[in-house]
Amino acid sequence: MVDQALLSLAKFLPEITLAITFCLALLVGVIFRSRPRLSMWVALLGVVVSIALTIREMGITESVFSGMIAVDPFATFFKLIVGSSAIFIFLFSLYSAEVLSTMKRLVEYSSLLVAMTLGMYLMVGATNLLMMVLSIELTGLSSYVLAGYTKEASDSSEASLKYIIYGALSTGLMLYGISILFGLTGGAMDIYAINRALVTSPVNPIALLVASLLIIAGLGYKISAVPFHFWTPDVYEGAPITITAFLSVASKAAGFAMLIRFFKIAFIDSSAVGLPAGIWITLQGFEWNKIIAILSVLTMTLGNLVAVWQNNLKRLLAYSSIAHAGYMLMGLAILSDKGIAAVLIYFVVYMFMNLGAFYVVMLVSNKTGSEDIDSYKGLGFRSPFIGVSMVIFFISLAGLPPTAGFIGKLFIFASLLDAKWIWLAVVGAINSVISLYYYVRVVRNMFLRDPDENSGPLKFSVPEIVLLLLLVVPTLLFGLYYSPIVDFANASARMLGVH
Amino acid sequence: MDSHAVATGALYGYRNQKSSSTNNFFESSVTLETFLFYTLGAVSVGSALMMVTRRSPVMSALYLILNFFALGGLYLSLHAQFIAFIQILVYAGAIMVLFVFVIMLLNLGDEKKLNERFSWKKIVGAGLSFGVLMELIFVFAFSKANLPPSHFEKATDIGTVENIGMQLFTTFLFPFEVTSVLLLAAIVGAVVLAKKKLN
Repeated sequence: MVDQALLSLAKFLPEITLAITFCLALLVGVIFRSRPRLSMWVALLGVVVSIALTIREMGITESVFSGMIAVDPFATFFKLIVGSSAIFIFLFSLYSAEVLSTMKRLVEYSSLLVAMTLGMYLMVGATNLLMMVLSIELTGLSSYVLAGYTKEASDSSEASLKYIIYGALSTGLMLYGISILFGLTGGAMDIYAINRALVTSPVNPIALLVASLLIIAGLGYKISAVPFHFWTPDVYEGAPITITAFLSVASKAAGFAMLIRFFKIAFIDSSAVGLPAGIWITLQGFEWNKIIAILSVLTMTLGNLVAVWQNNLKRLLAYSSIAHAGYMLMGLAILSDKGIAAVLIYFVVYMFMNLGAFYVVMLVSNKTGSEDIDSYKGLGFRSPFIGVSMVIFFISLAGLPPTAGFIGKLFIFASLLDAKWIWLAVVGAINSVISLYYYVRVVRNMFLRDPDENSGPLKFSVPEIVLLLLLVVPTLLFGLYYSPIVDFANASARMLGVH
Repeated sequence: MDSHAVATGALYGYRNQKSSSTNNFFESSVTLETFLFYTLGAVSVGSALMMVTRRSPVMSALYLILNFFALGGLYLSLHAQFIAFIQILVYAGAIMVLFVFVIMLLNLGDEKKLNERFSWKKIVGAGLSFGVLMELIFVFAFSKANLPPSHFEKATDIGTVENIGMQLFTTFLFPFEVTSVLLLAAIVGAVVLAKKKLN
């Protein structure tokens, strides 16, 4: 037992690094009280080291800590996504007027960001129901606090409170679903054992349906899928932009990783023989992929339709991120490794374009203090570089060539058509067209409207521009040269214990 | 795999016990165990009903305590000593104190202030709880034959402090450690929220 735990530790260095960083960032904050920025640098360094250690883990497929956590290419992929967005968020925070306005509490801000990252690292690898709940809670608790963090204003507190209440409710529902599943499978907590139990002794399909719907409620909340999305617009609007961006990318990625792993391992018919490689089928009598397909249609349609009416950029991007969750859910409904790989490709792309869009919103709000669509009037003339970058991000979010967003959508739709899900592909395509409307609305404000008379050009510092370039260049580059991310995603679709 | 679920074996204790005690019941030899099961069961259901129907929050809280104690007794009668004590210590002790504090701070003494109007929320709530009840009945009463056999033979061995401690520091060592990080994050978060001042 001791040996096994020690061996597991060796495969667990990224997470250990983060746990140490979490404590260290707090300690540094206490010791060097007058220099709160220091703990942010410690936190940033810790995340960088954890990414380096994650890269070292690439290709390993192993189960650690007596089956609690899987270290496999799938988990490694999502750890890289979560870790790199954490780094971007730390860099954003260095230039965010909102975050820097509460300098005193920068220590808690940085350390909780690390705790949240750790929670998400655990979420993407969890193969045990207990670990799933614990890691969701670690991520959740840190993000509730961060959402209501910097502004000493009521909307930020409202965001935090809403997030907590919805979070508690959804975790409660999920736990209830888990308890039913636990009873149905004779006390299995390991998702592989759940699958074995379900395959060998078929259970009541209605009970299984109820259990999985409740679990979807918990995970759907994390990825803000309709109808569990109610918190999203308010929290995204009230939270500091850096946290909003982190929630919309990393939190969603971790939620998706857990959703995909749980359904792909627990609820497929693993005894089926004679299937083509990379295709799986659902348990008999329980076609959960139809539930996922319906969820995806609801999510993208509602997200896109409501986004059309939004005048606050953060709210607009909130609904747009709901819609993107819908597109990605389509990839899971297909039940093939190709679909999963398409979701992974989408996540790489989504990380750059969505973080980029939020970063521009942050830069503009630093100068103008507003996130309203009217404050973007003539932005293209006041600061051409920022304006053009925003156009690139929005074109990419809408999924038009030659940007990376097009590649993301292309692979999702290709895998849908491949699996003969024509109607779902059509719904997705119609949705993309709707989304174009509200993205273009912002672009029109930036370039076709004159700026207000008393507003001069906006100047940004060199590091701010460099950081923006770090997001713009991949968004354009991956639209043209996409084979590396496709290869990487295909290699990362492999999970522990699935052949 | 067996070891995985041992710590949570109380549930199995529950299931085995329940089926054996019902058998006993029909064989018309009412043992002390069955008597306790039905008495405590009735008390817990009754107090739960009383709790949601009382108008005064203080009365609701008191019935909730009674409910916790009845549940604790049920756990004890199913040989889950540890869970029984934790139930009393954590729920009836700590969590109830929190409830009473909140009631005191909110000063809900005047129950007429509470909204008593008939709203769609209530209908949805009632519908949901009815759904859950039906589902429970369905799962436990009608699909018994489909339930896989329990992984454990001796429910009596599972609920002891030794066994739970053993599991906690071997199979469940890792989640146990993660809990410490979770608590640290929660403490930091609580401090942040408490320090916050609103305009």
